Amino acid sequence: MGYLFDPDNWEWLTTSNNTRFILEGFLVNLQIALIAMVFSLLVGLGLALARLSRNRLVSIVVGAWIDLWRNLPLIFVILYLALALPAPWREAYEDAAPGFLPDVLQEGRVFAGLLALVLYNSAVLAEIMRAGIQSLDRGQDEAAVALGLTYWQRMRIVILPQGLRRMLPATVSQLITLNKDTTLVSIIAIQEVMRHGRIVTGQNFFGGVQAPILQVFIFIGLLFVVTNLALSRLSRRLEIREQERTGTTVQPVSGIEDQLVTVHAKR
Amino acid sequence: MSSWLELLTDNFDALASGFWVTLRLVVGAFLVAAVVGTLVAALRIAPSKWLQRLGGVYVETFRNIPLLVLLIIAYSGLRRAGVPIGTWTAGIAALGLYTAAYVAEVLRSGVFAVSRGQVEAALSLGFDQRQTLRRIVLPQAVRTVISPLGSITIAMIKNSAIVGAALAVNDLLKEARIIASRTFETEAAFVCAAIGYLLLTIAATIAVRLLEQRYAIRR
Repeated sequence: MGYLFDPDNWEWLTTSNNTRFILEGFLVNLQIALIAMVFSLLVGLGLALARLSRNRLVSIVVGAWIDLWRNLPLIFVILYLALALPAPWREAYEDAAPGFLPDVLQEGRVFAGLLALVLYNSAVLAEIMRAGIQSLDRGQDEAAVALGLTYWQRMRIVILPQGLRRMLPATVSQLITLNKDTTLVSIIAIQEVMRHGRIVTGQNFFGGVQAPILQVFIFIGLLFVVTNLALSRLSRRLEIREQERTGTTVQPVSGIEDQLVTVHAKR
Repeated sequence: MSSWLELLTDNFDALASGFWVTLRLVVGAFLVAAVVGTLVAALRIAPSKWLQRLGGVYVETFRNIPLLVLLIIAYSGLRRAGVPIGTWTAGIAALGLYTAAYVAEVLRSGVFAVSRGQVEAALSLGFDQRQTLRRIVLPQAVRTVISPLGSITIAMIKNSAIVGAALAVNDLLKEARIIASRTFETEAAFVCAAIGYLLLTIAATIAVRLLEQRYAIRR
């Protein structure tokens, strides 16, 4: 305890650019998370719809795809893609990455990290969305059919607004997990907050003051706790509102860490 | 397609030892998560506001911190601070404490799922607080949360791969990477590891389903 709170061990915070350097790394994580979130949600929705397709073959193939990616450890997918992704893909990413992204995110190896995050999270989100859609009363869809709506009209006007809103809290929980998982791309040498933390804790790097690993990484951890707490406050508020509005039960989705939402909904 | 089978037979010992290490990590972390998770859940439903708050701080901290950060704090951080912690202890402790936050939240929600009337009935029958919790509430709470606890366990099996990536623990993924870099058979080595992880997650899924059929209370 003495070691933890010893002011000498926190001196690094105010020395040189340490704090700023770590915050810059954290910003890279947030950007990776944001990009991965947008694509995971879009791909996840597509997968969920394909999974619920009337076409048996499409449904089975997409179901197998979803089960494969969400049952593999994310770190496994990241490491595999970093090794196995063909060089032309990486070059294509470097060419296609928009110029407003920071330099770190324009490097080819970032593509492996982003792709892995999207493959894994889109599969999990697809399963969450499917559970939400399936929890709707069958009558909703039947009524929409009887009204003469086409498939896309039914989805856009009747099914998705209800089904997805019901799963909003679970979706936010998964996005929190995604936010934490951005640290895993440090393993494939992307310069984000973990790497910056390692650099800061390298012996006598900045201003001759040694930054102890324990304190630096507690600081980094707190950055995540604060951002995720903000997200989960949002999720909890949505959860309570949804429960009051619908009072419905949604089957829990297996294999994801955060099962709270679905358990509460069962009450 | 047969190349991974060949690689599996050629490197069976390494892969089997990796699988065994992963299994031990998972079992160790599960025990830590079960014990700590139950204690934290008890804090969360304790009659004192301060104890509740303490449990809340634990849950919010460990649930929102990336596991990788936790692993580095537990190993490199403590070592630099002069605590001679081993890789195994650090890995199991970090994975277990991280998972415990989720276990605690799920147990708490299970306790709240037991209706208030049951508690009142038990108290009026002369059970004291502790007996009511132990004999009436907890047995039912655990049975309502079998499925989410199973989910958490499956997530933990997947998370165990992060331990091997961060620390010098030769788990299944690490062994596969070593083989991949030695033989240049990246695909085959990763297919073998994938099969190992899928075996574990599928086995856990089946176990949870059986437990559910036997014990679950559906509400």
